[in-house]
Amino acid sequence: MADAIALPQAKPDQPALQFLRVIPGVLLLAAVGYAGKLLERNVGTYAKAHHWTFPNIEYVLWAILIGLAISNTVGLPQIFRSGVATYEFWLKAGIVLLGSRFLLGDVLKLGGVSLALVAIEIAGAIAFMTVLGRAFGLRPKLTSLLAVGSAVCGVSAIIATQGAIEADDEDSSFAIAAILALGALSLFTFPLIGHAMHLSDHAYGLWAGLAVDNTAEATAAGALYSDAAGKLAVLAKTTRNAMIGFVVLAYAIYWASRGQAKTVGNKAAFLWQKFPKFVLGFLLISILATYHFFTKEQTTALANLSRWAFLLTFAGVGLRTNFREMRKQGLRPFAVGAIGEVVIAVFTLALVAGAGKLFRF
Amino acid sequence: MSAKTLNSRKSWLLSIDSWAVLAALLAALLIRAGVFTRIPW
Repeated sequence: MADAIALPQAKPDQPALQFLRVIPGVLLLAAVGYAGKLLERNVGTYAKAHHWTFPNIEYVLWAILIGLAISNTVGLPQIFRSGVATYEFWLKAGIVLLGSRFLLGDVLKLGGVSLALVAIEIAGAIAFMTVLGRAFGLRPKLTSLLAVGSAVCGVSAIIATQGAIEADDEDSSFAIAAILALGALSLFTFPLIGHAMHLSDHAYGLWAGLAVDNTAEATAAGALYSDAAGKLAVLAKTTRNAMIGFVVLAYAIYWASRGQAKTVGNKAAFLWQKFPKFVLGFLLISILATYHFFTKEQTTALANLSRWAFLLTFAGVGLRTNFREMRKQGLRPFAVGAIGEVVIAVFTLALVAGAGKLFRF
Repeated sequence: MSAKTLNSRKSWLLSIDSWAVLAALLAALLIRAGVFTRIPW
């Protein structure tokens, strides 16, 4: 009897059913994203026609706001959840396609600057978060997860580290909730600070890519400032993502040496397993664009396709953010995350300002 | 038997990262081949 009940549960694993399950959510992402695009176009025109003073709100913010409104009022019905979770797929596909807008020389030059800043940022953020977690009396593995989440790349890094250091699910969900809540806040605070400080697109993009934790939020925070800042935020964040394997490996070795996690056997295989493959896709498209594999019209088409992919991502950022759920996870991890994020934001802003003087941007 | 089936089913499954890369590269190839000539924005 138990077997008879258990067997049908395997059905959702079938690819065809899995594909069907994501359709409603993907359609919702598209509807919310497109509504954001329509609002950007029509609200400004309507306000101008009626002589109202209304700020020019871009589709990025509209899509996030509509998503937030749905998620935090009526909530997200179960039928849409699998599809909304695909926002990460659209994000990564969008980043790969965005490679067409970078020539390899720019990637190497900007990536080199980003890499140096990322190395300093990761070392500083991990050290600070570790001290802060201890000061607040957080469990050591929760502290490790928060440190990795703030230093490298948010949720993906936390999930990768959780498996490697055998942390509790509870610790992982605390850390993810804190990182997501702070990421949502950064969407609104970063552009305001950037404008108040009259940061150039270049400086702001680098700053957002270095300081905002989750890739989706970093991309959105950059795009909210300007198109050029969005491109740079993605490049800096991608450089940061490329470091994920090394940081997770270091943590895995640390916890294994304390007898609280499995020993890592083949380190190269471990690094490859954790390495974000979309970074390679981004580089490949960038190389192809550099060597004129695509015509100018085709490059424009690729860039537009990347924008559509990001449109679904931004809708997903709003739709999966539920402040009530986050509040349930407790205040202390959030407080540690928040203090850490403010310090990291100030630290990376100083880094970018220093690099700007050095490299004149 | 069921464990074997599950393993063989899992072996061809890629991560979301890899699927995203494959989808983006396929789209790029289709655009390059002229299947899609214009993507409006």
